[in-house]
Amino acid sequence: MKSFLKAVAFSLSIIGFFAFVCIYVTGLSGGGGGGGATGVSPEAGEKIYWGDGQCHTCHSIGTSGSATRGPNQEGLASRAAERAKAAGLASSLEYLVESIVNPAAFVVEGYDNIMPKVYDAPIMLSREQILAVISYLQTLGGEPDIEAVAKFAERIPEASGEEVAPWVPPIDVDIKEGELVFFDESRGVTCSKCHVLNGKGSQVGPDLTGIGAVQTPQYLIESVLKPSEIIVKGFETMYLMTTEGMAYNGLLVSQDEEEIVLMVDEDGVMEEYVFYPEEIAQMQKQDVSIMPGNFRDMLTTKEFYGVIMFLLSQK
Amino acid sequence: MNVKKLNLKIVFTLFLALFLVALAVNTGIAEEHAEETVAAEVTGDAEGSAEEAVEEESVPYVEDEYRNFFGIDGRLIVWIISQLHLMFAAFVLAVPLFVVIIEAIGAKTNNLQFDNLAREFTKLLSTAFATTAALGGLLSFALYGLYPGFMRYMTGVFHPYMYVYALCFFGEVFFLYAYYYSWDLLKTGPGKWLHVFLGVMLNVFGTTLMMLANSWATFMMAPSGIDMKTGAVLDRSAAFFNFLWMPVNIHRIIANVAFGGFVVGAYAAVKFMGAKTEEDRAHYDWMGYIGNFIGLAAFIPLPFAGYYLGREIYSASPVMGNIMMGGAFSWTFIIQAILIGMLFVGGNYYLWNGLGRIKGSERYTPYVKYINIVIFFCFAVWLTPHNLPLSGEERALIGEQYHPFSKFFGVMAAKNAVVNLLILATFFSFLLYKRANKGETMPFKSHGNAARITMIITVGLTIMYLLWYSMGLKGQDLNEAIRPYINPLLTCIKIQIAAIIAALFLTFSNRGKLAQTLLFVVTVSISVIYFWYYGFVLMEKANMVLRFLSVTQVSIVISTLIVNTVIDVFLFKNAKEVGGIQWGKIPNRAQYALLLLCVAIVTLMGLMGFIRSGLRMNWHIYGFMQDKSPGAFTPSIAYMGWVVSLIVFLFLAMVAIVFWLATLGDKKKKHA
Repeated sequence: MKSFLKAVAFSLSIIGFFAFVCIYVTGLSGGGGGGGATGVSPEAGEKIYWGDGQCHTCHSIGTSGSATRGPNQEGLASRAAERAKAAGLASSLEYLVESIVNPAAFVVEGYDNIMPKVYDAPIMLSREQILAVISYLQTLGGEPDIEAVAKFAERIPEASGEEVAPWVPPIDVDIKEGELVFFDESRGVTCSKCHVLNGKGSQVGPDLTGIGAVQTPQYLIESVLKPSEIIVKGFETMYLMTTEGMAYNGLLVSQDEEEIVLMVDEDGVMEEYVFYPEEIAQMQKQDVSIMPGNFRDMLTTKEFYGVIMFLLSQK
Repeated sequence: MNVKKLNLKIVFTLFLALFLVALAVNTGIAEEHAEETVAAEVTGDAEGSAEEAVEEESVPYVEDEYRNFFGIDGRLIVWIISQLHLMFAAFVLAVPLFVVIIEAIGAKTNNLQFDNLAREFTKLLSTAFATTAALGGLLSFALYGLYPGFMRYMTGVFHPYMYVYALCFFGEVFFLYAYYYSWDLLKTGPGKWLHVFLGVMLNVFGTTLMMLANSWATFMMAPSGIDMKTGAVLDRSAAFFNFLWMPVNIHRIIANVAFGGFVVGAYAAVKFMGAKTEEDRAHYDWMGYIGNFIGLAAFIPLPFAGYYLGREIYSASPVMGNIMMGGAFSWTFIIQAILIGMLFVGGNYYLWNGLGRIKGSERYTPYVKYINIVIFFCFAVWLTPHNLPLSGEERALIGEQYHPFSKFFGVMAAKNAVVNLLILATFFSFLLYKRANKGETMPFKSHGNAARITMIITVGLTIMYLLWYSMGLKGQDLNEAIRPYINPLLTCIKIQIAAIIAALFLTFSNRGKLAQTLLFVVTVSISVIYFWYYGFVLMEKANMVLRFLSVTQVSIVISTLIVNTVIDVFLFKNAKEVGGIQWGKIPNRAQYALLLLCVAIVTLMGLMGFIRSGLRMNWHIYGFMQDKSPGAFTPSIAYMGWVVSLIVFLFLAMVAIVFWLATLGDKKKKHA
């Protein structure tokens, strides 16, 4: 028995040595292990920003990208410093970290609280990837400080290991049918008349390219059935009454000292109307979306869920 | 009395463990059920009328794509179960291979010792087989339960082969038990050879079983025969005979034999250390020696099979190849090098300790320290990474990412050279051990025409292989600028062929030792020294030719191993013995070397299992079906280390229990 126990102890010491080597090697290789880890650097962060991270589906940077759901990130580092000061945070870096860890903490004025937690499904960025993205964001109007970024590693939650039950519609639907409905211009209801998807359609409402990667089925269902419940910033309806007593409801396209341009729905066709300041008697934002609220009646259940599934497949 | 008490304690502990597992599983089910009930209460009306119940029943059935195992990630569970199943399967497939050979040797030489050894190994096999089957069943349930979507597709592609698998399983069960239980019945005369035939059939079914399962695993790595967009099955046989199927078959068969050899070696080591009588010590010392011999004999060609597999992975998918050697998995090969180094060092250390029980070995012991130096040098080179993890300060000091000196040891040209040297050094160690108690040799002529014919056939086949390979090399469709870089390889093969022919004639003229020395010198000069240098030339000027360099290197080394082994057999056949082998007279530290070999190869199998499977990254079926489960990430090396350690621990613990159960019957007999 004694010799057997000695053999066990010896075997365990070899197993322990193997585990130690693995931990040591992980330290040497930067903790990357598998997964094609690219380390914490602005270069890696930039790739993730425009790739796996899906950040670009909501945020543009200067003239790069066309998303408007979230703020344009040009000059972010300097703005973050001001906001950190206002929020009583120690640094702009802390502000950036907090904004990603808890997207609801600092919602920029003029934008909605729609940012997902990128460490959760479906995006599921790793801690290292998030740190890389933060180091990249530091370069937007500032200098990266990777050492300082790395110190926040513990603040970033690890990608959730919980299984997310995939959402399925209550009836059998065909994604292809949903796509047809989305782009079918021969019918009264055509999503692409107001939404761009993968470069196709008109940019009246928000661009829906990559929407499946950042929004939940519940959000999409609610947005279609109750468009006025959540209106993406920049797409609120404007009520305008002229001095002649004519009333218009439309989307504000542009506004300056010389003119105001509204996009108005004229029997299903979106037309731009130009108003001069002297002919405007009253103008105010409405809490009602320009998007029709009667899809419940205009689509069959199968078509409706087909469109939702099609949008969810856009990742 | 003490033994009885101990047995009772073990049985009670097992019972307690089973009870706790059952309790935990039951709790998990109860919790899941509770969650479902709560969910039903939240979504539905609490009153729960008959009408609502009907409505609830009419909710369409939606099948999950992924599930977890009572809150534990499904991937982790499948990883652990499949690896344990593979390890037990490796054991039960490998042991019959050498058991039949040992039995046949015993039958041919009328040596009962060999027959008893084969029987003892088979005894271990019968209990291990049931565990393998149980783990296989558990693996199937886990896969179908946790990955239903993926398994639905795999079943759709491979279902005809699954029936064949089941049939082979029946075949293996039949022949295993027929082989085991007919030992006494078919003990003598023609019956013995019928018994050997049963063993051969056991191997046929076992190997077929393994090859069937291999096709599923390799299909996941290199799918073929399907439409890569829709998944439609276009050619089922192409899916089965996929690109990586044969390389994995070859690699697994050889690796299984090494694995089985080292595991039974460790069993013998534990038995040796606990042996009470000299007779038992001698028996288990001999068994340990046989285990080590089998393990090392299979382990020496294993790097060649591994290299072939690696090359085919590159050919199947350059992206996967890059991930393996230059990407996310490159560091795991440093760990692999450590484990392989442990195996070579452990194997040699055991042989050197074994010299102590052989009278006459003193003549060879001075060589041991030189072999030792060579082995540690090779190990160090193999361990050297090409790209050193340097701090900014260190990089500034050196001036570049690569160390000016050690960078030359980190590239494949250096690593290939030292692997070949390591193999040659171990082979040399083995030759020394074999001849330790042999004195004056008999003239070659005294072995008769059979020896002459065997030598000629061996040399002929080896030369034919080298010529066939040279012709293939010549026929390569290469750019005119690169083609001249093939010529030195062809010249080296010609030199090797000339050396082999010279060795043949030297052997015929009773100069076998000189023939062996000639082959060693030529091979080391070409495959190690010259090709190490030429590897750098090719890296700089004709990178495309590097892959041919490695295969040429391997071919030359193999040809030397084969010819020198056959020369050695006849050189020392009927040679005068200086002194006998004193079985049992070996220090305990040698037994720890056997334990080291066992734990190292089990760990190595766990590590390589992770690499082979992990290369698919986030794909169930590479390039076709993505793994979209939350667990679809490549774990860090540290995490892998913990999981593989757990698997190795579980395997060794289960093996210990299985072997203990196998010997219970013997104890009863002894007490009776």
